[in-house]
Amino acid sequence: MAAQGRCPSCGSAALVEDAHYAQQQLVCAACGCVLAEGLLTTTYTEEEHLREVSYSQSTGQKEQLSRCLQRGIRRVQDLCKVLQLPRVFEETAVSYFQRAVQHPSFHLVSLEKKELLGGCCVFVTCRQHNWPVTMGTICSLLYAKQELFASVYLSLQKELELSVPALSLADLVKTHLNSFRLFQHAANVPAPFVEDKEKVVARTMQMVELASETWLVTGRHPVPIVTAAAFLSWQSLQPSARLSCTLGRFCKVAGVDLPPPAHLRLKELLEILLRMASQLAWLRVFKLDKKTVVKHIGDLLQHRIFLLKNAFCQEDGEEQGAAAPGEGSPSSPPAAGGVAQEKGCPSGGKCQHEGGPRPLLPPCLINSRKRLRTAATSPSDSAITGDEPISDSEIEQYLRGPEEIRAFSKAKAWP
Amino acid sequence: SSFKDDVSTSPQLFAPMSPYDVELPIQTTEDVLFGSQLNQPKDLPTDFSSVDLSFLPDITQDNNEQNLSEDGHEMQKEPDGSIPRNEDSGIFVDESSLSYPRTTQPSPEASGVCPSLTPMTPMTPVTPASESSGIVPQLQNIVSTVNLACKLDLKNIALHARNAEYNPKRFAAVIMRIREPRTTALIFSSGKMVCTGAKSEEQSRLAARKYARVVQKLGFPAKFLDFKIQNMVGSCDVRFPIRLEGLVLTHQQFSSYEPELFPGLIYRMVKPRIVLLIFVSGKVVLTGAKERSEIYEAFENIYPILKGFKKAS
Repeated sequence: MAAQGRCPSCGSAALVEDAHYAQQQLVCAACGCVLAEGLLTTTYTEEEHLREVSYSQSTGQKEQLSRCLQRGIRRVQDLCKVLQLPRVFEETAVSYFQRAVQHPSFHLVSLEKKELLGGCCVFVTCRQHNWPVTMGTICSLLYAKQELFASVYLSLQKELELSVPALSLADLVKTHLNSFRLFQHAANVPAPFVEDKEKVVARTMQMVELASETWLVTGRHPVPIVTAAAFLSWQSLQPSARLSCTLGRFCKVAGVDLPPPAHLRLKELLEILLRMASQLAWLRVFKLDKKTVVKHIGDLLQHRIFLLKNAFCQEDGEEQGAAAPGEGSPSSPPAAGGVAQEKGCPSGGKCQHEGGPRPLLPPCLINSRKRLRTAATSPSDSAITGDEPISDSEIEQYLRGPEEIRAFSKAKAWP
Repeated sequence: SSFKDDVSTSPQLFAPMSPYDVELPIQTTEDVLFGSQLNQPKDLPTDFSSVDLSFLPDITQDNNEQNLSEDGHEMQKEPDGSIPRNEDSGIFVDESSLSYPRTTQPSPEASGVCPSLTPMTPMTPVTPASESSGIVPQLQNIVSTVNLACKLDLKNIALHARNAEYNPKRFAAVIMRIREPRTTALIFSSGKMVCTGAKSEEQSRLAARKYARVVQKLGFPAKFLDFKIQNMVGSCDVRFPIRLEGLVLTHQQFSSYEPELFPGLIYRMVKPRIVLLIFVSGKVVLTGAKERSEIYEAFENIYPILKGFKKAS
């Protein structure tokens, strides 16, 4: 190795390589000062002359992960363990996290956001493997605000160009019901409330499927639907004992949160069930209401495909409406229903007789309270070219007069 | 089979009649390609003909054409072996769980009905170019910018103008409004201005000029340089409900549907580069356009895709 530089103590240029026992040394021939020894490190000049090298300048930094990254990875791994995810998920989530943190848009975000980023990576991994986990769950585990989580998640999806499949409601039913404490006898659970888990899960799945077929699921938060469906299913398995239990009490006993929209979803589900019940021959004798229909949910679910077809008229169903009386339910439909069907069902909300079929539409279209907006462009609007002359008077209406200005500045104590 | 016959006798296949046809170059060229494929039926992918599709529900010819046109518009990538979902199978069918039983039967002849199927290789649209949606998106908001090219004293403006508000602690610009055209402007001390709320490009320009004139009358040597439309937002209604869960399954690369976050599906169209918000009610919002034609083109692209998710009676 070529000797270079001068001796720091005497300034002589006579530097010699010598070996002291087995250790290589760079020695000044004039004064004997040892310049460097034991050249085990890198080629940085400071290190050769035994001066301190800052961490950011040494090669060590390139090999080790930064503390922030290490902490983040540990967070991700902990999250995976808490959620009891398979090993593969952990590796995938960690790799997403490493990619994300190095991305320029995430590199310098706040620590809070970096923590959420870890949660988002776990969330994405779960969804890509169709492992049902909701954002709410991750947020509560991270004590995070949902809006912040949402924004980090969306930018993660965009920046890393990840394609995330939609949440499977069927799987969500199973995992959500896992957290219900109704399947074993416990101190706070009255005996008649305890139910077999498999039965509840099976019936809830059918109920959720019914909800999705009748447009109650699209665009809505999934958890309230599952909660409402689980409630109805559980009630219907032993109606005599459970009809008196409200949704709120049910959730309390089961030890789960009651999401506010669940009441609305419950109402909507009951309305669908009542309409279906009106098509079942042996149920028409009973005047069913939203309490008593629960007793027959088992039957309704069993025949749901047939009942849905008859209880609701299709969108473009002029032919459907006319043919219905012919192919319809076993016993003749009640007069009102028959009349409604004969009239046919033009699209929109015209089909709203009490006993008759209504169109199968999302609730936002059925209960539409918005006025239909007529074409907003008036003829005068479309004639604008953008280059019209602008009159002075029109502009002056926007300017203050001198007295006004004086009064204003006095009143406002203008800064 | 009946499928090939119907399509090849369709007279309007190569006659562009849509007013927006100029903005849809993909459609015309692909029509030609598809036409040549039609004449040699043997060139169709064998996967298509050997598949047993009897498990699919009956659909009409009309639906079939619409479904195929949807494939054409997404030429870049096709999800492997996915079927345009009918609502009954909506959210519970995982793509990977579908399998095609391979039989030696030729294409099915279920009462002369053609199956709706996304083939393994992307096929081009069959819809005649004349069959446009008939719905015109309405422009709801235009955002434009202009450079007044002079430094402005915002406090002065706020004092002398009736229609101005200025709260420097909240935002570093004057917010000014005029009644006709009904718009709002953000005026910055650098002389740059943003004009929002107009319903057409011309209105936006007229409004921006009026704001510039106000600033001039207040004593500043305002000019009107580099007027540019930055964003256009349009909306319309397809008048039928849409199965968003199905749409996100078949158009995963472009769609983001998170009901936990937002009730609508966010569709990022590549050509033209427009973001669409699609709602279950059938209302569609289109944004991100620099020109009106991009909005119209984007809607004409999405309409056949949405029609594919309309509930078949």
